[in-house]
Amino acid sequence: MAQPHHLTRCHAAILSTSKRQLTTLRTTTRSIIPQCTRQLHHQTRPARRQPTPAHLTSSPISQPTRRSYHSEHHPDPPPHEYTNSQTTILSAALRHVPTHGFTRDALTLGARDSGFLDVSVQLLPRGEFDLVLFWLASRRGLLRASVDNGLFEKDERVKAGLKLTVEEKTKLLIMERLRMNTEIRHQWQDALALMSLAGNIPLSLSELHALSSEILTLAGDASVDASWYTKRLSVAAIYASSEVVMTRDQSPGLSETEAFVERRVEDSSAIGEKLTGFKQCLGFVGSTAIGLGRSWGLKI
Amino acid sequence: MLSRSVWRNLGYNARRRTAIPEVPYRCFSCSQRAQVDSNKANQDERMTHFGFSNVPESQKESMVGAVFSSVASSYDAMNDFMSLGIHRLWKDHFVRSLNPGSALPSRNTDTTGKGWNILDIAGGTGDIAFRMLDHATNINYDHDTRVTIADINPDMLAEGKKRSIQTPYYNTDRLSFMQGNAQDMPNIPDNSVDLYTVVFGIRNFTDKQAALHEAFRVLKPGGVFACMEFSKVENSVFNAVYKQWSFSAIPMIGQLVAGDRDSYQYLVESIEQFPSQEEFRGMIQKAGFMIPGRGFENLTGGIAAIHKGIKPLSQA
Repeated sequence: MAQPHHLTRCHAAILSTSKRQLTTLRTTTRSIIPQCTRQLHHQTRPARRQPTPAHLTSSPISQPTRRSYHSEHHPDPPPHEYTNSQTTILSAALRHVPTHGFTRDALTLGARDSGFLDVSVQLLPRGEFDLVLFWLASRRGLLRASVDNGLFEKDERVKAGLKLTVEEKTKLLIMERLRMNTEIRHQWQDALALMSLAGNIPLSLSELHALSSEILTLAGDASVDASWYTKRLSVAAIYASSEVVMTRDQSPGLSETEAFVERRVEDSSAIGEKLTGFKQCLGFVGSTAIGLGRSWGLKI
Repeated sequence: MLSRSVWRNLGYNARRRTAIPEVPYRCFSCSQRAQVDSNKANQDERMTHFGFSNVPESQKESMVGAVFSSVASSYDAMNDFMSLGIHRLWKDHFVRSLNPGSALPSRNTDTTGKGWNILDIAGGTGDIAFRMLDHATNINYDHDTRVTIADINPDMLAEGKKRSIQTPYYNTDRLSFMQGNAQDMPNIPDNSVDLYTVVFGIRNFTDKQAALHEAFRVLKPGGVFACMEFSKVENSVFNAVYKQWSFSAIPMIGQLVAGDRDSYQYLVESIEQFPSQEEFRGMIQKAGFMIPGRGFENLTGGIAAIHKGIKPLSQA
């Protein structure tokens, strides 16, 4: 049966025609299809918003509002997936991290503090890695909270009436997130070692991606092309490398780390410029070559 | 030639054994007869699994008892043959993941008390109990953690007591033995146990849910129920190989090494009857436990699985 499939949408009755009538059907197809499409257009048209008369809108015709591609109706995922009891133990354990590091001891003390037994750390199947993950996830939540509490408004450039670019905001956010690590700076190399164990790498990477995505979203990045990926990659790379620098930073106020972040952001934008320049150059040379070939009579 | 004569001998032995049972209710074939008899006696009694056959609940206990009485002395040798020694790795992993013993000295503010109070159910021969005590002593330097070995079967307990003489815990207050049914342990007070373990035992219980409720009762709030049991293999190819091994090789090894085919036939059938990982997790949850993460950990592709549950803190 070689019945044209699209007919089913128009007239189901036609389908009841027998095989013998198929030849006649083919001839009628040409006339039916335009009718069908016209009908469809008629159906969709009322759905489209009628332009409001100018006198009804109060202001002069406003420009179409720019909408982000991230739906507002889509609820934010919770920062972590732990149950209440797990969260209780983990948040109590975080208080012991500066002295005991990301270890089972910190977990045990956290369990004891919150009224659990030593054995209750079994509630966390990944053990101390759960503590690291919880630290990362909870700090990520705090980063969002600090933006809500006016992180950008406190910046003196904003106070002076300037508007921050996405890049400047990103830099601010990275530094803010790094400052949260200050008190556990001396334990962080252990945590990095834990995260780099083969079994833990996937979760660590997804957490790093969650952080870089959060930073860019908070900074107001609205890219929807391939740069969505490259931006997240570069922020992740900058953040991860400056974290390592920070573990050895003894300077007051983390000024060395800040300078490092500054340089890396400059580097990444420089690389970005070079890449665009290279792409443009490549495109120009390519089109010239094609034009040259055509002028020689090649069938390109 | 030699193998053929051994084979013939085996067949002969097996036939003779089924024909003349030495101990009443000892073997699988007896169980079927017992089932027929009891069915005549009282039709309305509740039935439960005994391997692939159904028996009245009141009889399963004595029948399982008979099985383990007959395997007690050769228990470890048989486990080695059947699992190719892997059961030792499983048990070591089980104990290591539980990390028994308090590594940190107890602080003045702590209310938890010194050392852990561990209850090892169905641990007659003590291989889990001794491992846990060793771990607490040598890894966590905790000399206060104590283990109570409970078993329903006096023969298995006797085997454990005999082995405990070789350990440094013999005749100390860190190790004690108790005969009792895991479904009802009136001499263990409520909220008194830190860690409740049952390793390769729970599938033999007559009423598993009742045993889980009893575990929930004796555990302290925050205490852990940990169970290692044979489970369902997830890879279908591996499952076919495993089924072939357990249904043809294990009863034969049982006959060759322990001279008791029927008890090992029961073992493999009871493994087959045990609920899957997800079902058993549901049963643990039903008893009131919190489930950490996925709730179970498969060992060797799911031949065995470790299940854990944590008793929640009472809502004050």
